[in-house]
This record gives sequence, C-alpha cells and structure tokens, in this order.
Amino acid sequence: MTEKLSRRLVLSVPAALWAGGAFAQQKEPFRFGALMPTTGPEAGYGLDFVKTYEMAVKDINDNGGVAGRPLEMIVLDTQAKPELAINAANKLIEVNKVSVIITAWSSVVKAVAPIANRTATLELNMGANSPDIANLGEYVYTVFPLAEVDVTALAKYTREKLGKTKAAVLYINNDTGIGGAKIYRDVFTSAGGQVVAFEAYDPKATDFTGVLLKARVGNPDVVHIHGLSELPQVIAQMRQLGMLQQVTSYSSGYNPKLLAQLGPAAEGLIVTSLAPTATTNPNVAKLLDLWKQVGRAPNGLPYLQYAWDSTVVVADLFAWVDKNKLPVTGENLRKALLEIRTFDLPMTGKLVVTDDHRIKKPVYLYVVKNGQFTPLDTIA
Amino acid sequence: MEYLASTGVLIGIYIILATSYNLIIGYGGLNTIAHPIFFALGAYTAALLGIDTGLPAVICIAAGIGVAVVASVALAVTTLRVSGDYLLIASLGFQLGLLQAVNNLDFTGGPAGLSNIPLTLGGPARGWLYLMITAALALVVIWLAQRSMAGPFGRAVRAMRDDEVACAALGRGPFAMKVVIFAFGCGAAGLAGGMYAYYYQYISPEQFNVAQSATILTMVVLGGLGTIWGPVIGAFVLVALPQAITFLQLPSSLVGPLQGLIFTSLVIVFLFLRPQGLVGTPVAGAAP
Repeated sequence: MTEKLSRRLVLSVPAALWAGGAFAQQKEPFRFGALMPTTGPEAGYGLDFVKTYEMAVKDINDNGGVAGRPLEMIVLDTQAKPELAINAANKLIEVNKVSVIITAWSSVVKAVAPIANRTATLELNMGANSPDIANLGEYVYTVFPLAEVDVTALAKYTREKLGKTKAAVLYINNDTGIGGAKIYRDVFTSAGGQVVAFEAYDPKATDFTGVLLKARVGNPDVVHIHGLSELPQVIAQMRQLGMLQQVTSYSSGYNPKLLAQLGPAAEGLIVTSLAPTATTNPNVAKLLDLWKQVGRAPNGLPYLQYAWDSTVVVADLFAWVDKNKLPVTGENLRKALLEIRTFDLPMTGKLVVTDDHRIKKPVYLYVVKNGQFTPLDTIA
Repeated sequence: MEYLASTGVLIGIYIILATSYNLIIGYGGLNTIAHPIFFALGAYTAALLGIDTGLPAVICIAAGIGVAVVASVALAVTTLRVSGDYLLIASLGFQLGLLQAVNNLDFTGGPAGLSNIPLTLGGPARGWLYLMITAALALVVIWLAQRSMAGPFGRAVRAMRDDEVACAALGRGPFAMKVVIFAFGCGAAGLAGGMYAYYYQYISPEQFNVAQSATILTMVVLGGLGTIWGPVIGAFVLVALPQAITFLQLPSSLVGPLQGLIFTSLVIVFLFLRPQGLVGTPVAGAAP
C-alpha cells in the first residue's frame, strides 16, 4: 500500500507540476508595454534593449511567471522620436490595455508623460538621464539614475580627489548634453574649481575644432565631454590638436567600442558606470552568456543591465498588486512602486525609489589603462 | 477609443498642413520647404502663451496663427521676388535658421522642448472632443482652399503658376497673389501647430525639422498636387497606414523596416505610374 502510494505520489508530482505550468501559461498574462527605437539611428541600442527585455521576460516565465501568470511584453517602435512615441503610447494604453510602459530617450519620456499622467498609466524610464524627468508628473518614475547621480559624483571626484582646478566643459547640444553639462559646471564650481570653457556642439557635427580651440585657450587641466556616439571623434580631434589634458565623460563613454575606435588616444579617459561588472556580479556573467548565444557583443552593457532590471521591477509591481488582490491599473502599480520602494535587482543591485521621483545608486568610476576600462573608485 | 481619436487628431492636423502646403506649392507653384517652421511658430507661440499667461487656448492658438502669418509675410516680401531653386534655398535657410534659434533659446526650452503645456478639455471624452474640433478646422481649411481656388482668384493663381509673365501682362499682380496664398497657407500651418501643442502637451524642435517637409510633401504628391482632396487622402494614407501595420502582430524588428519599405515604395510607384497622385487628373503632355 505504501509502495503504491509512493508510486502514485512520484508519478503525480511531475504531472501536477506540468499541469500547473500549463495552467500558468494559459492564464491571462500580465502585460506591459515598451516604447523603444527598433528602427532609425538609435536602433543599435533600441534593438539590444528589446532583446534583453525578451531574455528577462523568458527568464521570469521559465521560473513560473508572476504569481503563476505569464509576463508578456508588447514593443512598439518610436525611432526615438517624440511624435511617433505619442501615438505608440496611445495604442499601448487604449488597444493593448497596458497599465505600465517602459520608455527610454529623454524626448520620448517627456512626450509620453502627459499621456501617462492623463490616463493614470505608470511610465518607467529605464535609459534616459535628463534631470527634468523627475518633474514630469505623478505617474512618471525612473528606474535609471538621472544625470545628477553620476555627473555630480564625477565632478566632485575630479575636483576633490584628482585635484583638478580648471575644467573645460564641452557638450552635445541636446537635452542630455545640456542637462549633464550644467550639473558638471555647477558642482565643479561649487567645489572650488573654475570652468574656463562651456561650449556646445551640434548633434550632427563632425568637426569639433572650433569648440576644442576655445577650450584650449582657457588652458584647462581637465576636459569634461558630455556627448553621445560622437564622443570618440571629439577625443580623437582633441588629441590631434595637441591637447593632452585628462578627459572625463559619463556613462555613455563606458563602451568597449569607444576603446576600439580610439586606440591609444583613449588612455587616461575617466568614465562613469551605473552598474556593476561581471567580475563583481555573477548575474551579469549570466546575461553575457545569453548574449553569446545571440552571436555578438551587446551595445552598452550597463544600459542592458537596467533593461533587465526594469523588467524585474515591472514583475515585482504585478506580483504586489496580485498579492494585495487589487485590479491591475496604473494607479495600483504606482501604489505598488511606492509601497515596495526598495528593490533588490539581479543586474544592478539595490534600487531605492525616492519621493522626488529619483533613485539612489552607487557610481562606478573607470579609467582607461592599457586599452582596458580599469576600476578607479566606487562612490556610494 | 482614445487611440482612434488620437490617430484621427493627427490625421486632421496633417490634413490642415497638407492642404495649406498644397495651396503654396501645388496651386501657387512656390517651391518652399519652410512649412514646418510655421507649424513650429504656431505651436511654440500657443504653448508659451498658455504656459506663461494662462490665457484661454483659443486666444493662444489665434496668436500662434498671427505669428505664423506675420513671419510668412516677412519671408514672402523678402524672398518671393525670386522663384524656383532660389526660393527653395531661401526657404531652407529660413527653416534651418529659425529652428536653430528655437533650439538655442532658453525660453523655448532649447532642445528639451516644452513639456508643461496646460491641459485643456480634460476628462474621458478629451480625445473625441479634440477630434471633432480638429476635423471641423480641417473642413474649414479645405472649404476655404476650395472656395478661393474655384473662383477668379484661384484661376489667376494657377495662371501665375503656369506663366508669371503672361499673368502680369493681363493686369494681375503676381507678387501680391504670392504673398496672400503664402500667408494663408502658413497661417493654417500655425493653426495646426497650436492644435498640436495643446493636444499633445509636449513640443520640441526635432518635431518640426526639415524631415517634416518631406512628410507633408509626400502627402501632397501622393494624393494629387494641385487638387483639393488629394492632400486630404494623402494625409489619411500616410498617417493611418503605419498605424495599421502595427496591428499585423509582426515582430518589432520587422514592423519598422516594413513601414519604411511601404512608404518609399508608395512614393516610387506613384512617381512612375501615377505622377498626378491618387485624385489628380493626367496633364496633357506629362509622363503617363
């Protein structure tokens, strides 16, 4: 009898698990939207974000989903353009009935914000760092540190730890560049430094000689460049003009492609990163392994770590709402975000959402040494 | 559904833009690509007035139209004495220069744009109310275009377009006619800008760049240059089609390229097979 029972038990457990799994898959999924540039000039990053979301969603579903229900993502293309994002957001909310949307790129986050606030849909920024994002309304939050986190840390470090006294600040003339450059200037100045040049360049520029020569006139001992994909060209032209000063930049500079493009000219460059590396966090190694299956290196690994973690945040919000037997609405998801507040995330560590719509994260500083990003310091 | 209403509002705004642009380029034969900057002037004027003064939206949008008209007259009196390629280059300079100014001024929000435009017509029916207003305004613009182009003034404008010297010889003042249709077309673009700013509550310079000219021009050419209903159909097709593709349940990596492919294929097919557009009639002696 005992043997029979045991046999039945042994046979029934996998069957029940299979049935339970199948049931979970049949259940109505928790849906969230993602507005990403899958075409256009920013698609290089956007497609890798989407791929990482897909990996994270699969990982969550393979581990039983969220409260027994599968997680489902609906992606719409924005080309990183606000006008396309507006209609895509309307479609996600009205047609696909999502209550939470993940966005990136400052202009897209801002364009979607009025819709999110009007329709009580939670908007989570996972990649834009414009400081204005903290003031976009009650339904707009960020899970990605805004510019003041890493730029403030970098400016203070440059002034106080490296002892630099005169800085030239060059920046791309867009939302990201202006916001970041102003923070650097203000922090560096209030720490007792002097900003000898504060020059913008056009986002489509390919020749930076003019702004570099203006910077050289001030004889700075550090040049902070707040740029995006054009950063290697700016540094290369700076070196060609004989400017050998220390260069600093923010997290967009933490990219292996930059090292490949610049070669020896990258030596000494200090950049920030807002996420730990594979050597300090084994989960990052797992993400890199998944990318090896894709067959190529991902673009902007730290950003992808945030992409993964933003999916985990969304899953945690759904789980909280389900646990508290509340309907899945933007209002309740926002309530969940503020109730949970502290998230322990696999790729980037602890995340604390503050009342002022910002988050707290440590800043990792790297310096380029022998063609490699080498850890310089960590600022908590 | 708010989504349908939102798409409808966008179609309405583009109908106003395409119809007004058609008056300038299709009927008037004035090769300008500065239409987006008048769209921007209307949007920024309405938005800034709304934010800084709290005036009613109607007044702010009317002011946007006024600024667009004044700017268009300023451009017209200085550049409409030239035509063809020269006008094209002058209008390009105006478009790029003014947008650079918008991009670099603090009070316009610079590249970050303006994101705190006051909410008007709140509530669940907001989208439908905006759709009705935009549709009504689009109909008014179409009606005005139709009325003005059907009468003696319209015939004189077409005569000017086809042969400016002959038109002047008949006692008509081509320059005054150019200024009038330019001001009317740009004023309508300002109206579209004001509606855009109040409906979407966020504007930035990149929404009004020169690529908008290509979009509006494609709407006009696809529908039928120099026709009343052509730009309306062109605006409808080019706004609705990309939206329809998103319903095909295709992978996200396919949707974008497919949209681009259909857009460019439509332009090429129409240029070769039906240059007069969807509703235009073939011109004698023109390529079939």
